[in-house]
Amino acid sequence: MASYARRRASNTIALSLSMVATVIGLFFLAAILVTLLLRGGLAISPKIFAENTPPPGSDGGLLNAIFGSLAMTALAVVFATPIGILAGTYLTEYSRGSKLGEVAKFINDILLSAPSIIIGLFIYTLLVVPFGHFSAWAGAAALGLIALPVINRTTQDMLGLVPNSLREAAAALGTPKWKTMTHVIYRAARSGILTGVLLAIARVTGETAPLLFTALNNQFWSTDLGAPMANLPVVIFQFAMSPYDDWQRLAWGGALIITVAILALNIVARLLSNIGTSK
Amino acid sequence: MAVSMDLPATAELVAERKARRAVVEDRFFYGLTLASATFVVIMLLGVMVALIVGAWPALSTFGPAFIITERWNPVKEIFGALAPIYGTIVTSLIAMVIGIPVSFGIAIFLTELCPQPLRRPIGIAIELLAGIPSIIYGLWGFFILAPFLQTTIQPFLIATLGNVPVIGILFGGAPYGIGLFTAGIVLAIMVLPFITSITRDVFLTVPVMLRESAYGLGMTTWEVVRSIVIPYSRIGLVGGIMLGLGRALGETMAVTFVIGNSHNISASLLAPATTISATIANEFSEATGDLYTSSLIALGLILFVITFGVLAIAKWLLARTAIKV
Repeated sequence: MASYARRRASNTIALSLSMVATVIGLFFLAAILVTLLLRGGLAISPKIFAENTPPPGSDGGLLNAIFGSLAMTALAVVFATPIGILAGTYLTEYSRGSKLGEVAKFINDILLSAPSIIIGLFIYTLLVVPFGHFSAWAGAAALGLIALPVINRTTQDMLGLVPNSLREAAAALGTPKWKTMTHVIYRAARSGILTGVLLAIARVTGETAPLLFTALNNQFWSTDLGAPMANLPVVIFQFAMSPYDDWQRLAWGGALIITVAILALNIVARLLSNIGTSK
Repeated sequence: MAVSMDLPATAELVAERKARRAVVEDRFFYGLTLASATFVVIMLLGVMVALIVGAWPALSTFGPAFIITERWNPVKEIFGALAPIYGTIVTSLIAMVIGIPVSFGIAIFLTELCPQPLRRPIGIAIELLAGIPSIIYGLWGFFILAPFLQTTIQPFLIATLGNVPVIGILFGGAPYGIGLFTAGIVLAIMVLPFITSITRDVFLTVPVMLRESAYGLGMTTWEVVRSIVIPYSRIGLVGGIMLGLGRALGETMAVTFVIGNSHNISASLLAPATTISATIANEFSEATGDLYTSSLIALGLILFVITFGVLAIAKWLLARTAIKV
């Protein structure tokens, strides 16, 4: 056995290293946020929300990209929320012991961490190749498929927290199962399910890879869902990789907008789930 | 008399009709939930089928050699996946070598050392790293980290480790800034929150009784962590690492910015390279010709198979622990 002094010393070293690790982690978070604020802050002006993406070398904003991102995210959530909640309902309320339930839970968890670029390729072969052109519909579908597992998983977790006595009480009153779910259980789990939807929105807001071959990009204002549509992540990617200063500045501005939106969504979701669990 | 005879009959009828309607509605609702759950399974099958069909022209043209061919020549239409596969594996390994010790350190700090009031805020701050989208990491890596590494760390590595026999070959060449090494560091930062939060959660599953008995025997905090906490939670730790690895392997935008997109395999970690996802992201919209597109989809298929395997192992390991992931 090593001497007491040596054991003390190795303890001090190990624990100091763990503190250093924490400082490293927090340092990178701070470094990224500070860079975003400094560089993005310079680009933020009313113009960025009022004008469309410019051709190289001239002034402009990100209006069409912001609109495109909002539109496709909204479509994706409208598509993914009901399916996600219903699938989560099946997996907590009906599937006990069934093979399909086991498999669906497993697959959903895999999809939760699966590379989003694969989803992009899938939608490309499904919705872009047959129609012969990129479209906002395809972009929204890709984002929807990424949001779906998030909503499904949080619904499962949240329904699992609802006490069984509520289900039993409703059943004792002779309430049909579907009414129990919609009138009692969903209400009890409301804030939790809403948290899931917010997290899903946060997740898809920054997704870039799947949009590269589905919605692509559009330099102009467009509300046509059948045509390529501008969106913040792809614009950031293209503008950042360009050699033009104006474009790079706009890319940083867009990056700041996206990050602030996502962090705000994350924080609201956290607060909401705290309220939900402390009740 | 007749009226009072009728009344209960009607009420019964109404109740019966109501009950029957409830059965139908219940069946309908059940059908909806079942269809939604099935949709998730079908989606995964659909992804597999779409990738295999899309990759078929490339796979049938090049055969198994596709995986071990380094050449990637869009002009002559000769495609091989070796360079992207190599880049994917090496960047993920670098991310793991850096990310695992740092994540474990943070988890140890959060569970053993950190004053109670600071635990939640620091934990949340680390988890916020997971919320930042990958394109932001890419932007930051390309404009801030890569130039910094190019002027400081990389020349230092070349001057020191570059001269050491055997491993020197890994640190040779010029400091490009972008390349395998930089991509690995960006990935390490990105997997930190995932590995940290799982590591912390499995550390917390160690029974208090075990910890306190060990302290009672006179062990130091580090000895408790090393001899009690880590052995007790090792399955969950490996699961957390695999989950982080799954993320690193499939990460796209952050890597695309800093990898350099070069299809040459070079011995140096500092050289530009490419990964599967970066190749797809960079070249897909420019790919002309069916064979080119098909080769890129074949790359996607390979990535899908690798990540599916890694994530399935992670899921299987974590299911054996008490924590919910």
